[in-house]
This record gives sequence, structure tokens and C-alpha cells, in this order.
Amino acid sequence: MMDKLKLGVFELTDCGGCALNMLFLYERLFDLLEFYEITEFHMATSLSEGNHYDVALVTGTVSTQRDLNLLKEARNHSDYLIALGTCATHGSVQASVELPIREKLKAVYGDEGNPMRALDSKPVVEYVAVDFALPGCPYDKNEVYQVLLDIAKGIEPVRKDYPVCLECKLNEYECVLVKKGLPCLGPITYGGCNAVCVRSGLGCIGCRGPLPGEVNPAGEYEVLRELGYDDEYIIRKFKTFARWEP
Amino acid sequence: MIIELHEFTRVEGNGKAEIVIEDGEVKDVRLKIIEGPRFFELLTLGRHYYDVPDLEARICAICYLSHSVASVLGIERAFGVEVPEEIQLIRELGLIGELLESHALHLYLLVAPDVFGYPDAIRMATKHGELVKEGLALKSFGNRIRVLVGGREIHGINVKPGGFGRYPSVEELERVEKESEALLRLARRAVRLFAQLDPYGARAEHFVATDGYLWGEKLVSEEGEQFHYTERIEERSLVYSFAKQSRYKGEPFFVGALPRLLLKADMLTPTAKRLFEEHRDKLATGYVSYNNLAQAIELVYSLERANEIAKVLLDRGIKGENVPVEAREGEGIGYVEAPRGVLIHHYRIDGNGKVAYSNIITPTALNHAMMEASLLEEARELYGEADEMAMIQRLEETVRAFDPCISCSVHLVKL
Repeated sequence: MMDKLKLGVFELTDCGGCALNMLFLYERLFDLLEFYEITEFHMATSLSEGNHYDVALVTGTVSTQRDLNLLKEARNHSDYLIALGTCATHGSVQASVELPIREKLKAVYGDEGNPMRALDSKPVVEYVAVDFALPGCPYDKNEVYQVLLDIAKGIEPVRKDYPVCLECKLNEYECVLVKKGLPCLGPITYGGCNAVCVRSGLGCIGCRGPLPGEVNPAGEYEVLRELGYDDEYIIRKFKTFARWEP
Repeated sequence: MIIELHEFTRVEGNGKAEIVIEDGEVKDVRLKIIEGPRFFELLTLGRHYYDVPDLEARICAICYLSHSVASVLGIERAFGVEVPEEIQLIRELGLIGELLESHALHLYLLVAPDVFGYPDAIRMATKHGELVKEGLALKSFGNRIRVLVGGREIHGINVKPGGFGRYPSVEELERVEKESEALLRLARRAVRLFAQLDPYGARAEHFVATDGYLWGEKLVSEEGEQFHYTERIEERSLVYSFAKQSRYKGEPFFVGALPRLLLKADMLTPTAKRLFEEHRDKLATGYVSYNNLAQAIELVYSLERANEIAKVLLDRGIKGENVPVEAREGEGIGYVEAPRGVLIHHYRIDGNGKVAYSNIITPTALNHAMMEASLLEEARELYGEADEMAMIQRLEETVRAFDPCISCSVHLVKL
């Protein structure tokens, strides 16, 4: 039997969800272990035995020097690096606080300041080249499963090229934007979550970031304005997960 | 001399500790939270209240629903909104799902490898596969409840001020009723397993919990009075940590499963209460390591309570009506028992429905001082007695017993 691929999971600053989501694969995690051997995954194991990774999954934002060091280590020692989750691909919510880091630290830790040094939260993709970017807050676990299987079989994983709206239509959910007037970013958000929030009758909050290419953020902006949402509200909504300029 | 404990493994988030040795004795312990700050209070400032619970959910993946519910409670109290029992019960069901998911993760995947001497649950599975599978079965049931109430396994958006986007259906509740009954056997087995462990860590002297079992109007301590956190809990910044430390009347204190059982045993369901009585003498010693046993008893509680709630909702039928919410200027605090202890969301909201002030205190931050005290005691006992590797292993287990959630702990703000 061929050797298993070495898999490393590296967590930078985030909520822990993207690492946790791997464990939520349950039995299918064991299916993946037919192809992969986990040699670094600090949430799940006390072993740390890798110096080379065939595939590295990196979650979270770069928010400290430690994060940056760890990211570089992961990049330098891996063949295929996946920026996993919206923190890693777009910065997600914690990168959306638009203040210089010093002011943020002062607001949180007081006037005397905290000597702990932090960096402005930024996505992984701003520091290193990645081989694949899989957004989502959190990402869809079926998608990462498929991506890892594809890589194990030597197939380049497919990048999706349609908005959440399409998945919403395929599921035949009622359009919450048109029917209920809820702020839904489904028309311009990168699909792949199976429109899970619209399933609850609520609007897409845009957690997978903008779909590149032929979407129409200006149109979405106009629709939301016509529904009565003010500029500031819309802009903040656009910027929350992906620093999205309307 | 400083002995470093490298980054903790099998905990959520990034942290480590230093043991300071002077003249051959343990002088001090510093628990360093090195996860980067995440600035959630700044993130929500100026935001419309409707979007806030979805953002707060992102504080933590393991207990996102506790954050959503605490956020919603804080907002509703600021507006003077009261929701009917149906909505309260569904929220409680969600919190129970979270308790199951989180406790099962902690006990079976993070702690059990220590018990059986493995570096992780995957490697433990070759010999103890049955146990790992049982843990996963409980965890996945908890997660299915989270999907049902929260809308997603992680960072759901279904919990809203005034109600829900979508309400559970009869079939879904029937499934909860059946499965909770079927899984009870596994939870009882977990209690037997974790009851066998010898105690370690410090003994806590102060315990704090919410006044209801999974949420409340106020906090309570072992002294019995109800109070708001602002009255008795103080926070301070540390020079070596991104998390602040809290003290209760100036002393370290403990929040979590063990404090819940000790302070609120009379609210337990029948089997959970019986198991608590059976192990009461042990638990009452207050050793933090008994938090593991307490979590196992809470698995039983959660399954029984989920079953009760499903039955009540099925008997009455679901109305599925949200309470109208109107924004007005106000201040409110949401107190929830996240799986690892008391969680506080405190907001002031302006007349336009936007957040003007926000303070969030998470269980791991509340336990920070107690974690240090516990490490200090354990290090003093073991230094020079055990070899260094064994000491470090035990210290890591001591931290793990708190079930710390480090990512959540690093964004406390006073504005």
C-alpha cells in the first residue's frame, strides 16, 4: 500500500471552529485517515511529529508574531497549503475592526497598555501564497472532505463559481430578500454552504466572502437601499467578513 | 529558573504556562494566554442589535450557541422584551445540545486519552474504539440539536431577539425525544469511568453560577445570595496574557460543571440527581479535577432534560410565533451557563437600536485566576517529587480539567 500523506492542521488566531469542524466529520474523518496521517493538530493530539507536510491546513488570521511564525513554518514545510475558513481567506469578523492596533489594544486593555504585542488581524493569503483557499465561517465540512479526497487522488480540487443564490434556488427556499425584505447577501456571496442560513428563513450574512467575477455588488447595494437599509448599515454588512467594497 | 509548559494541546485555542522556580522552590506560576486578541466588543460597537448575536456567535465555535443566547438575552433585557415559555424551552434545548456536544468532545476526545495513556483519541481508538464511538455518538446528537435550534453546527444564525428564524418540527422533536432516551446508557457509563479517577489540582473555595440551571437573571455563589457581576467580580489586565483575570471578592473562584452541580443540585433531573448524590462527598471536596466527573453527570442531565423538553413541546404543540421587538434605549445583561461555565454579555443600546457599550466575560477568563492557583498548588506538590516530564504532563491535565476555551477568553473590554 502506498504511504499515507502527511497532514498538518495549524491554528492561528480564530474561534477554533475551523479546526473543530474537522472533528465534526466524525466517521468520515476516519475515512480520510485511510489516505492521511495527521502529524500536527494541536486541538486533537499531543503528538507533534511533522517536519514535512504533504498537505497543510491553516485556519485563523495572523494576529500575533507567533501566528506569523507558525504560518511561515507551515508554508515552508508543506507541498500543498490550504487557507481554510474565512479568517484565513478574508480575515473574517476580527479583521473588520477598523482601528490601528495600538488603539484597539488600548480600548481593550486600558490606558497603561498591555505590553503584549499584537498585529492587525489579516488573512493568511496576505502573507503567503496558498494552493487552495476554502472560505466559510465556518467552511462546509463536506467541501473540505472532498478537497482532501481529491488531493489524495491526485486531482486538483474544483473551485466553485456560483453564488449562494443558486444553491438557495436548487433547495427551493423562499427568497427572503424579495419576500421578507431581509438583508440577504446570497446574490453576491461565494456559494458552497448549501444556503444553510436561508434554510432558517434568514438572510445570508455573507460569511463566505464575495464571489469573484460576474456578480453585481452595486445592484445588491441598490436593492438593500430600496428596502430601507441605510448606507452605513449596508457598508458594514458588506465589510464584515471580507472587507468587501460595495 | 523557569520551567516552560509548551503550548497546551487538546485544549481549544493557544495558551501556555511558566513555572517560576527560586531557591529550589516553586515561587509562582504564570498562565499565558497567547492567542491573539479578537476585539469583539469593538466589533459590535455601533452595530444594529439584530446583527449582533450572529457576530457574537463567532467568539467561539465550541459554544457559539451560548454566545448567541447570552447576546439575545442581553438585548431583550435592554428592550424589556419577555418571551413566552415555548421560546425559552427551545433555547434551553439548544443550550443542552451544546452541553452535550462540548462535554462529549472534552471528556472523550481530550481527557480520555490521558486516562488511558494515549496522545489522542484517534490512537486510542485502536484499543478503545467502542468508547470513542460512544463519545462521538453523544457529540453528534448534541450537534444535531444545535443544528435544530441554532441553524448550523457551528455559528448558526437561527437564534434571534424575540424568537427564531425557524422553529423545530414535530418530527424533529420526536427524534430528540427518542434519541435522548437511547443515549442515556452511554452517559451513565461515562459517569462510571470518570468517577474512578483520583483528584488533582487545587480545591476551589468559591463557586459561581447563574441562578437558573442553564441561564439566569443573576449570579449566585456558595454564599447563596444573588448578585450582578458588577457587584462582586473584578477584572484586571495582566502583563503576560491577552486574557484578563477576574476575582470574586478578591479571590480566585471556579465556574463550570462542578460549581453548577454543587450550587444547583436541586434543579437536576432524577437520574442525574441520584448520580450526584452517589458522588456528592467526592464532588463537595471541590477539587477542580472533579469537573470531569461533574461533566459526565451533566451528560446524563442533558439527555434527561432534552427528553423532558421535547415531550412538553410535543404535548403542547409548537406555536412558532416570535415576539415583536422594538428597539429603545436600554441596558441589559445576559447570563448563560456555557458548557465550561458562566458567560456574561452586557450591552447598552441606544435609541436607534445600535450597541453603545458592550462587555463580554467568558468562563475561561473567569477561571483564569483559579487555573493559576491550581497550577501553583500542583507544581508545589510535584516539584522535586516527580520527574519533570511527569510533572508537566500532570499540570497540563490540570489545565485541561477546566476545559479551557482559550480563543474565547481574549477579548475582554471595559470602555
